[in-house]
Amino acid sequence: MTVDRETSRDAQLSGEELLAVLSPVVNGEEELYLTIGSDGLVTAFNGHVDLGTGIRTSLAQIVAEELCVPFEQVQMVLGATSVAPNQGATIASETIQVTAMPLRLAAATARAFLLEKAARLHGLPVESLVVEDGIIRTATLENWSLTFADLVSGDHVRLAIDPDASLKPVSDYRIVGTSHPRVDIPQKATGRWTYVHDVRVPGMLHGRVVRPPYAGFDHGEHVGTSLISIDEASVADVAGLVAVVAIGDFVGVVATREENAALAAKKLKVLWRAAPERPDLNAPEEALRANPSTPRKLADRGNVDLALAGAATAMDRTYVWPYQMHASIGPSCAVADFREEGLTVWSGTQNPFPMRRDLSILLDMPEDRIVVERLEAAGCYGRNCADDVTADAALLSRAVNAPVRVQLTREQEHAWEPKGAAQVIDVRGGLDIDGGPSAYDFETRYPSNLAPTLPLILTGKIPAAPDTLQMGDRTAIPPYAYGNLRVTVHDMPPIARASWFRGVSAMPNTFAHESYVDELATAAGVDPIEYRLRYLQDPRAIDLVHAVAERANWVPHTKPGTLGGEGDLLYGRGFAYAVYVHGKFPGTAAAWAAWVTDVAVNRRTGEIAVTKVICAQDSGLMINPDGVRHQIHGNIIQSTSRVLKEKVDFSSTAVTSKEWGGYSLITFPDVPEIDVLMIPRPNEPPLGVGESASVPSAAAIANAVFDATGIRFRELPLTPERVLAGLNGGGQAEKPVQRKRSAWWKFGLPIAGGLAAVTGLLTMGSPWRPAISPIERPDANVYSSVTIERGRLVAAAGACNVCHIGTDGLAFAGGRRFDTPFGAVYATNITPDVENGIGGWSYPAFERAMRQGVSRDGHHLYPAHPYTSFAGAEDADLQALYAYMTTQAPVSEKPTETKLKFPFGIRALMAGWNAMFLKTAPFQYNKAEDAEWNRGAYLVETLGHCSACHTQRNVLGAEKGGKAFLSGGFADGWEAPALNASAKSPVSWTEQAFYDYLRSGHARDHGSAAGPMADVISALAPLPDADIRAMAAYLAKGSATVAEKSATAEMVVAASVAAQADAARLAPKGARIFEGACASCHTGTNALSSLALNSNLHSDSPDNLLQAILNGVEAPAILAQTTGRETPEIMSMPGFRDTLDEQQIADLAAYLRARFAPGKASWDGIGDVLRRVGSVVH
Amino acid sequence: MSEVFRIDVNGSTHTVEADPKTPLLYILRNDLALNGPKFGCGLGECGACSVLIDERAVRACTIPLLAVGSRRVTTLEGLGDEGNLHPVQQAFIDAAAAQCGYCLNGMIIATVALLKRNPTPGEADIREELRHNLCRCGTHIEILAAVRRAAGLSQAAEQRKTGRRAAIVEGAAGTLERQQ
Repeated sequence: MTVDRETSRDAQLSGEELLAVLSPVVNGEEELYLTIGSDGLVTAFNGHVDLGTGIRTSLAQIVAEELCVPFEQVQMVLGATSVAPNQGATIASETIQVTAMPLRLAAATARAFLLEKAARLHGLPVESLVVEDGIIRTATLENWSLTFADLVSGDHVRLAIDPDASLKPVSDYRIVGTSHPRVDIPQKATGRWTYVHDVRVPGMLHGRVVRPPYAGFDHGEHVGTSLISIDEASVADVAGLVAVVAIGDFVGVVATREENAALAAKKLKVLWRAAPERPDLNAPEEALRANPSTPRKLADRGNVDLALAGAATAMDRTYVWPYQMHASIGPSCAVADFREEGLTVWSGTQNPFPMRRDLSILLDMPEDRIVVERLEAAGCYGRNCADDVTADAALLSRAVNAPVRVQLTREQEHAWEPKGAAQVIDVRGGLDIDGGPSAYDFETRYPSNLAPTLPLILTGKIPAAPDTLQMGDRTAIPPYAYGNLRVTVHDMPPIARASWFRGVSAMPNTFAHESYVDELATAAGVDPIEYRLRYLQDPRAIDLVHAVAERANWVPHTKPGTLGGEGDLLYGRGFAYAVYVHGKFPGTAAAWAAWVTDVAVNRRTGEIAVTKVICAQDSGLMINPDGVRHQIHGNIIQSTSRVLKEKVDFSSTAVTSKEWGGYSLITFPDVPEIDVLMIPRPNEPPLGVGESASVPSAAAIANAVFDATGIRFRELPLTPERVLAGLNGGGQAEKPVQRKRSAWWKFGLPIAGGLAAVTGLLTMGSPWRPAISPIERPDANVYSSVTIERGRLVAAAGACNVCHIGTDGLAFAGGRRFDTPFGAVYATNITPDVENGIGGWSYPAFERAMRQGVSRDGHHLYPAHPYTSFAGAEDADLQALYAYMTTQAPVSEKPTETKLKFPFGIRALMAGWNAMFLKTAPFQYNKAEDAEWNRGAYLVETLGHCSACHTQRNVLGAEKGGKAFLSGGFADGWEAPALNASAKSPVSWTEQAFYDYLRSGHARDHGSAAGPMADVISALAPLPDADIRAMAAYLAKGSATVAEKSATAEMVVAASVAAQADAARLAPKGARIFEGACASCHTGTNALSSLALNSNLHSDSPDNLLQAILNGVEAPAILAQTTGRETPEIMSMPGFRDTLDEQQIADLAAYLRARFAPGKASWDGIGDVLRRVGSVVH
Repeated sequence: MSEVFRIDVNGSTHTVEADPKTPLLYILRNDLALNGPKFGCGLGECGACSVLIDERAVRACTIPLLAVGSRRVTTLEGLGDEGNLHPVQQAFIDAAAAQCGYCLNGMIIATVALLKRNPTPGEADIREELRHNLCRCGTHIEILAAVRRAAGLSQAAEQRKTGRRAAIVEGAAGTLERQQ
């Protein structure tokens, strides 16, 4: 069991031998900053938390330095509300700049006290003592020393922080300012570190939440009021289910095991009000302009209106930033233990103290009874769902009176995390007659607030009315000395749920500032860096710009295109600079950063490669220089990803980007070369470095793309399709979503034809068949073991149990549902149960059912039971099958009865049908063929009834004859591909391929069996090899008769590789979904065959592809356990039914078709097929 | 419906009782208390849950318990611990190749599998191999350095092993000292 609980402040202070440093008493409270134990070990406390930036290490360095103890002697406790000081939320790169200060003073206070004590003990002047590595000595008495442990032992001392404590001069620093390995990495690299996801509490249960349909929106009158009802019966069969909990729109489930909680959350039927329509946030400009706002003027100098009117060249520009997400790699997780006496939560929160307040409101519990234990989680660069899930866990723990761990799904984290808001920035200005900036009139719109903790809103504890905050002003003031300057922020409430994200509004504001100044420079015919330097006044900024220009060997230029290109590539280089200003306006500056970046733009594909980033940063004093360097690397890579790739997609009601295909991140092949220049400023105060290097990214890249192409891009992200549209001189319209309703069955019965057919049936054949008297249940002992074994193989060849399997898995118990054009047909119970099965059937009754489709009592069976195939079976086979069935365990359950609608509900009509379509002749062997072929033909055509699925049916549901035989059909929601020369597979099916596939479920040049065929192959497993070879021989001969295909697998795969770029251009979103969601398994080296070889990609119909995408595919290794295949894939393909929406699947299918079946016509009406396939019940 | 399974994880056989469809990841984390593999997406997309099965890096979130059979499963914990680090773990620590560290498990597992197949990967090989292991903190530069370092360390370890074998065969144990 892993239970992490920080020792509380009272317990920390209870030691008899201890030196503690606390804050002065305010409102009766004093906060603990530092303790030294009698062993000399130092524990330091900080209210901020480590978000993966290494702040734990840097703070320990600061404490060790100021105390003069070895770094290893210091341990940090971060964020636990039971002990750490309340220093607010960990935001805005403030930890080093702000919250480290009292810690440093606490250490200095302790050092001064210990020195004085040592001096007093030995009657020496303090000035004569030195402290080093936690040992106090004098310069003169060489054999005299005292350790901190000596001085702390035997005494309990509490000190108040001395605000005037003398701090060590920077020139004496030995630990701060030198790189120090991160303390956490060895444990993280060996799986021994405890993240919040790894917390286990005795008696802990597992919870999942079910979120409402308005995913990603947290205000409006429907929020918290949309739940209509919950059908608890829908999860009644989930093992170990403990509770279903609903409070307002908060819904959760608790189970003893995690997989069962996940299953219950998936199966739970919840009825919600329809989510309301939202403004279109995919192209957010219009929605942001329409959002109500209050202007706030931050600067107004000179005479902007006059200058604008008099500009020699007017330049009005608009810059648009998309919605983006923090995209933590681990979805949020928390554990809560609610008891009468109080609540403990283990949380990955960024804000332990505000979290405690939220829990207090949520549970009506005083804050002093709540402990927030803060553990690390997956990196978070703003506000993700960490607080939401903590509150979720608290609600579920209270409901079940036990500790509960709640893990959000990937989809929930993506959909609900507070987004980095879209932003629209207008700049009006231009050049004066000297080429200088005439005016700079800047307006920015940033729809975001702090995103209240979701369960507070879902449960109605706080109103779902959005606050408006003033956070759009970060770095809103441009760095340049524009004489006529006006800066206005339009403060506005959020539209989608939004909160701070790395760089907050400063990153989009800088995109505008630094793109615009570049535009001015080009218009003025001046080098972009030189132009900036004319108006830059901050000396540290000027130094930085010079330094990065020199490092990059910047070549001054006044127009784009100077770097040329080769082939389809155009090269460009861009510059941008920013200082990140955070906190309440006018705010505090963090580190300065400047970028020079190189790009290569492919004018044929629209792809941008950021090939190199040279970044200079002035961070003041750097506590841990390697830590700073890693933060700069991280910022460069993450912001490059944001600029090139990242944008949240929305439907009209909700977020639709719910996994890494719909929201793609930069991956290793696209990571640029990075050169970091860290300006040494050891005598300047340390500055926050967590965000600064992100801020210039967008403008630097857009400026480089302009340098390469001469085209200005003012809206992000710079996706290939946006770049191509720009290069081609126009916008690219989004394809409208197809929302056509359509017939649910492609091969549905045309009404007129149907009526005529029914009339025909009524006039043909005698519908009545006599009942055959029931018999006593036959005794299985009357049959020889040889007969029973033969029957077992007949049942295997016929794969009887694939259709007749019980709904709970019992053999032959029936109940499986099949959707046919005529309605739902349910398989019957064929166990020897007298009441519900065929236990009372004599052999003649059985044989009549098998050959003529008439039940024992005389009613007609529907041809979903393939009696038309069985009609020709050998007597001996049917007799053996009858014998075998008598040996089965009777199941006394009655499956759902098939009740088709009028006219198909009239079973007597089947008499006419049989007169038309049933051939009762025995199977005709072909003397011209050999015995193997004949055996194969017999198995395929009668017992195996392959044609039942693999042959098209006519409007009356009868298999078509002639050329249509085995030319492919549809069954059970899947396409059963052609088995003859009409097969769409790009490589011909050989005898060996048929054998491999039927025997093992996999053929190298075709892929693996899935869906109903996987079940059939599993059923065929008992058949001897000779029978499988016979079927393969027969099928191969049939498929070879007109085959002209000569393609090899290598040629097919090569064609798909060649088609990749064109496919991406045709379906850019589909390409990204494939790359993010599919390619990890479907490319590269693994056990799966290339999708290019898969018939389903080459078929005229996308049904099977969509089946796989919606419902997933079971690991081939599971099938291999019955077939003995070696080295099969052991991973299952997950179903994406609840993850991708219709448009995403359509985009993906378009891409897959174009890439893996190049040359085949694109599929039309994917939406219609999706509804057809999606409605099939399994 | 729960069934009893025996699975081979980190060199020991464990008996677990669960639904056959349960993702291996949940079994490793909840039944075996192995925290190395992390839940990242449940869709096989991000790589955070990677484990080695028969020396191949696979995604435990998509592997049904039923499919595991008698295959050998190795998690991050099974590679080595702080007192006895695997060369790849050592390389990642040396290169400080983690920010939050949540993806670290997948990166290390993928690297072990890569070096097994290709002990001397080029830069493009490394980047391609890690293509579908996502990192959000932007630690890619340090991770790439760690993989290059790991290749070096692994080769050195391999040479030592070969050297030791050769030394034993030749009965010249003295060469061991010089090689190390």
